[in-house]
Amino acid sequence: MSEIITFCVNGEHHTKLVEPHDTLVDVLRDGMRLTGTKKGCSVGDCGVCTVLIEGQPVNSCLVLAADVGHQAITTIEGLATNSELTPIQKAFVHEGGVQCGFCTPGMVLSATALLDKNATPTTEEIKDALAGNLCRCTGYSGIIRAVSRCENYKSDGTCVKKNHALPEKQSGQSDYRPSSKDGTSVGVSIPRVDAADKVTGRAIYTDDITLPNMVYGKILGSPIAHGRVKRIDTSKAEALPGVLAVLTGKDVPDTMYGVSPARYDEYILAKDKVRHVGDEVAAVAAIDLRTAEQAVELIDVEYEELPHVLDPYEAAEEGAPLIHERYERNINTRVEQSFGDVEKGFAESYHIREETFTGNHIYQSPLEPHASIASWDHNGTLVLHTSTQVPHYVQYMMAHVLHIPLGKIRVIRPTVGGGFGGKAETTPLDLCAALFSKQLGRPVKMVYSREEMFHHGRGRHKQHMKFKLGVDQDGTIRSFDSEIYLDGGAYSSFGVATAYYAGSVLPTLYRFPNYRYDGFRMMTNKPAAGAMRGHGVPQPRFAFECLLNMVADDLGIDPIEIRRRNAMTPNSLTVNEMDVGSCEFLSTLEAVSDKAKWDDKYNKLPKGKGIGIGCGGFVSGAGYCIYRGQVQLSHEKGRESFQKKSIFPHANAIVKISEDGMAAVLMIGAAEIGQGSDTVLSQMCAESLGIPASRLRIRSEDSDISPLDLGAYSSRVTLMAGHAVSRAGVAVVDKMKPYAAQLLDCDESLIEAHDGKMFVRGEESRSVPWEEVARKYFNDNGPLVGTGAYKPPDGLGGNYKGSTVGTSPAYSFGSAVCEVSVDLETGKVKIDKFTDYHDCGTPINPMAVHGQVEGAVVMGASETILEDVQFDKQGRILNPNLHGYLTMTIKDAPEIFSGLVDSYEPRGPFGAKEIGEGSTLPVLGAVAHAIANATGVWVKDLPITPEKILRAIRGKNTQNIPSASEDFPEKCDHAYQSE
Amino acid sequence: MYIPSVNFHRTRSLAEASVLLEFYGSQSRILAGGTDLLVDLKAKRISTDHLISINHIASLKTITEENDALRIGALTTITQLDESQLVRDRFPSIVDATRVMAVRQVRNLATVGGNIASAVPCADLPPILTALNGSVVLWSNKGERIVPLRNFFLGPRRTDIHEAEILSGVIIPNSGRNFGAAYARFGLREGNAIAVAAVAASLTLSANGTINSACITLGAVAPIPKVVEEASNVLCGEKPSDALFAKAADATVAAADPISDVRGSAAYRRELVAVLAQRALSKALQRAEEDAQ
Repeated sequence: MSEIITFCVNGEHHTKLVEPHDTLVDVLRDGMRLTGTKKGCSVGDCGVCTVLIEGQPVNSCLVLAADVGHQAITTIEGLATNSELTPIQKAFVHEGGVQCGFCTPGMVLSATALLDKNATPTTEEIKDALAGNLCRCTGYSGIIRAVSRCENYKSDGTCVKKNHALPEKQSGQSDYRPSSKDGTSVGVSIPRVDAADKVTGRAIYTDDITLPNMVYGKILGSPIAHGRVKRIDTSKAEALPGVLAVLTGKDVPDTMYGVSPARYDEYILAKDKVRHVGDEVAAVAAIDLRTAEQAVELIDVEYEELPHVLDPYEAAEEGAPLIHERYERNINTRVEQSFGDVEKGFAESYHIREETFTGNHIYQSPLEPHASIASWDHNGTLVLHTSTQVPHYVQYMMAHVLHIPLGKIRVIRPTVGGGFGGKAETTPLDLCAALFSKQLGRPVKMVYSREEMFHHGRGRHKQHMKFKLGVDQDGTIRSFDSEIYLDGGAYSSFGVATAYYAGSVLPTLYRFPNYRYDGFRMMTNKPAAGAMRGHGVPQPRFAFECLLNMVADDLGIDPIEIRRRNAMTPNSLTVNEMDVGSCEFLSTLEAVSDKAKWDDKYNKLPKGKGIGIGCGGFVSGAGYCIYRGQVQLSHEKGRESFQKKSIFPHANAIVKISEDGMAAVLMIGAAEIGQGSDTVLSQMCAESLGIPASRLRIRSEDSDISPLDLGAYSSRVTLMAGHAVSRAGVAVVDKMKPYAAQLLDCDESLIEAHDGKMFVRGEESRSVPWEEVARKYFNDNGPLVGTGAYKPPDGLGGNYKGSTVGTSPAYSFGSAVCEVSVDLETGKVKIDKFTDYHDCGTPINPMAVHGQVEGAVVMGASETILEDVQFDKQGRILNPNLHGYLTMTIKDAPEIFSGLVDSYEPRGPFGAKEIGEGSTLPVLGAVAHAIANATGVWVKDLPITPEKILRAIRGKNTQNIPSASEDFPEKCDHAYQSE
Repeated sequence: MYIPSVNFHRTRSLAEASVLLEFYGSQSRILAGGTDLLVDLKAKRISTDHLISINHIASLKTITEENDALRIGALTTITQLDESQLVRDRFPSIVDATRVMAVRQVRNLATVGGNIASAVPCADLPPILTALNGSVVLWSNKGERIVPLRNFFLGPRRTDIHEAEILSGVIIPNSGRNFGAAYARFGLREGNAIAVAAVAASLTLSANGTINSACITLGAVAPIPKVVEEASNVLCGEKPSDALFAKAADATVAAADPISDVRGSAAYRRELVAVLAQRALSKALQRAEEDAQ
């Protein structure tokens, strides 16, 4: 029975009608529109719904609203008073404690509760207080800095230092001081432009949006791994009061979609077969989400179960169940690449070592679940709010499936709570919401639950790798041969590119004179694997780094020395014809070795302590776009042959100056997903305009406002979008120059713009205010607008099959040293410390760079020792939640030092190149090496769990350990989550 | 994930809650902290028509000393237990458990009563409270029934709570002199990790330094927080030593009945039990020796 209850929230009284089953989080979000409280898992695992009740942090998803009337509740909206941030909020802004922002409200509230009780907590106390708030972006480093230093935090970033609990300032003291040195915007650690909104709960994510007359959709997934859909009875669902529409395979377009045009193999909803547990079968729209959830369970589907295959080697066997007719022997992508003469190289080698490595199923687990809201204008324009990294590709794919021009689709990307590759594709949510919305004439919202996110998949490919390395006596690499089986799951997704990436970026780090790569991307009856941070490369990189360390040990060469001897050098063409420009790999090696005191520690630590090295690097943006030809409805264009040039610019920007000249609005469709692109693009644009970044606003969220940018993938935004925004700024300044020249009475070629002034070069005192010149321009011409565009260089890559994958305008490099303690009785690993140096070119915003590195270290370390999506023999996921699929908490995260080496990339804007993905690559190998160094045994199968370590110490194999598949689900009760 | 439709009853006394529980019978559930129950309802692992909230019964939220024994009210949250000076002084081994349980947000909600009554095999309080010879107080309109924890658990999620009874508290008897206990558990993560295996141990030393009495219990590796009598037999009357503890650990491993699941195989769990048993015993011995001084 519903009940009228008065809540006391943030000191204000709200009287609400509450149902007995309502949880507090839903009453806060839906009833009071306090959407700063987020929903991430609904079962108390993630902490994004944290609120304070009587000053104590609790998960509001685990509290019945009816049980907490009249208690004092504080949400994130209740902290800042009169727009003045609290010291802890300021500290989060200025210390890099915020990235995607989805964990931030809960994190800030937990920190507030701690500091109210204990003004000077130790680092251990901070970690204990925040262990219930998962973060996937920051690596927790900025958060610990913020909480440690927040006392009396001033908005200029200074604080009254406390005598204790101040962690050693990592990552370089000066980097974190906001500075407006000489009015320069680039190379300065300004706080993120969206940080204040994120610490106050004002940032709006897709699920925070409620449109008038909106209804809700839910998708039914298959309970079996492989089968034919024989019959679907939706009558019971349709009869449920509140249900508005039901969709099944027969109601959706016959057009297949996907990522790689040659392998579009997905329907919105299954038309004939289901190919993995969770494969989308039917969908319901209803007046509320609760009704939609009930209705999907009333849909009765009859399946003809088919034999399924879960192992990529078994999938390739003669007679294995065929998952798609079109992929013979379930081979989705076959790569055969050979450079030089591999056999001759081995024949000439002094030492050869061959090893087998296995990766793991990694899921991105962004804290914000995928969400989508579709609505149609009366003139037939589809408006789609979606949580995506790739607004343009979503627009393109919606146009393809729905057969409408791109121009009739407006994609709005609200604040995105992390992606890491998991939001780089059009989802069934986008497509079903669009279909329902068209049918019903109402906005339709659809959101994945945490479990559905795992079933939708698109995580990292699990790779099975056979590697063979031949070297000279001094460790110089002579030949490298590799065979990789990638477990692709049931659909292509990004897999074609993944299969090529798995081999193409290995030779950019070390010189390979001879190299062969045999790749098989296999279909299996599991959720499709996709692109995740480091796309295809982290597991082969892990395996190669391990193998190189083994070879170094075999030869008695120090692992850092063997890297020195093989390191890539600037301005090199790799064996697979990748064009490496700037390269300070050697500097990162030297720096990390010195900083971590490698020579004092390697093989000199007590048993159970270990140190390890890993290196890596990545592309700064893919050289070619994933679809061919120009931007137009794909059905209308013929199959176009590949050309070694960009048909259209990959990044495009417009800058519009306000009529009074006081503000600039930068429009670009680059997707801010938490990585900080809005901030660095604002900095670069402001720099080229010659005004402080504080006078610039960025509009990147709406395809109606901002021109095409391909999105946040392949680490492309800083370099490619950076060029576009800088060029747009220059275009504005060029238009202003004649007016400035007139005002200053000089030749226009002498005019420069900087720090809000236009002046005569070499005579800075002869200046006029920037805005005055802008006004003069407007008076004569109307709008002052500049545009900029960027195309990758023509002719990248060689002339062999797959040569485009791995091409890029520039490459990043990095080295990391990991230090661990291993409990030799239980096998448990504690990652104590990471020291990382990176060559990301010249950084645009050092704080943002360090934030990416810190996040990558923790994400990479987490996937090395903790994470694995586990399947039973029926293909069901055993841990589709955040208490079974474990990511690192703040207590697990190591202390991190992130450093940068001097570097300048001529092909990058202001000398910059990527950091986001490349920073992941050294991590896995460094952790594995440190564990091997501590225990004396190598574990070659990820994740390196305590159980595997113990088995390896005992000389047992570490693969195929009996797991839940034997007992599940009958006895699962036994070990289920407790309070 | 939503909670299915349900009726909600806010009660002000045990008598009121007990009447409702009797009236609605098996179609009702007591709601305390809710951190297990609400998750189970959302996941549709269980269903119920009536939630009877006892969260507003103030008398169940206290920790008191009664005739030398410690009485912990069922609604005491894990945070309150963790921060109680009385508990820290008298039974530091309880803090071994509260320190590693879930996370602050959950500890602020989850209750001692719920952690016991849910009878989830990997719960952290039952093993140590059993090793401390604790009993539960089961309240009904007919009166209080006191059941030793070692007899209370019948199987995974099954207990000796009778119809219309409510777990109102836990009583831990005075441990006497020369007593020490400890709880050792293993989780895969540093924070917010469910126990993969756990062992609680308690022992009392006699004046000559031999072990007078001992109790070892299991967590997460048996259907219930099982008392390992064989280990007590190994220990009692002997002088503590690493070799003795290793023998007791072997007996503990023999008594474990672990399953394989996502957190580890049964074989690995047995290895953990051996290590944890020795660690718990060593810590318990250290505390007993300190207690003797």
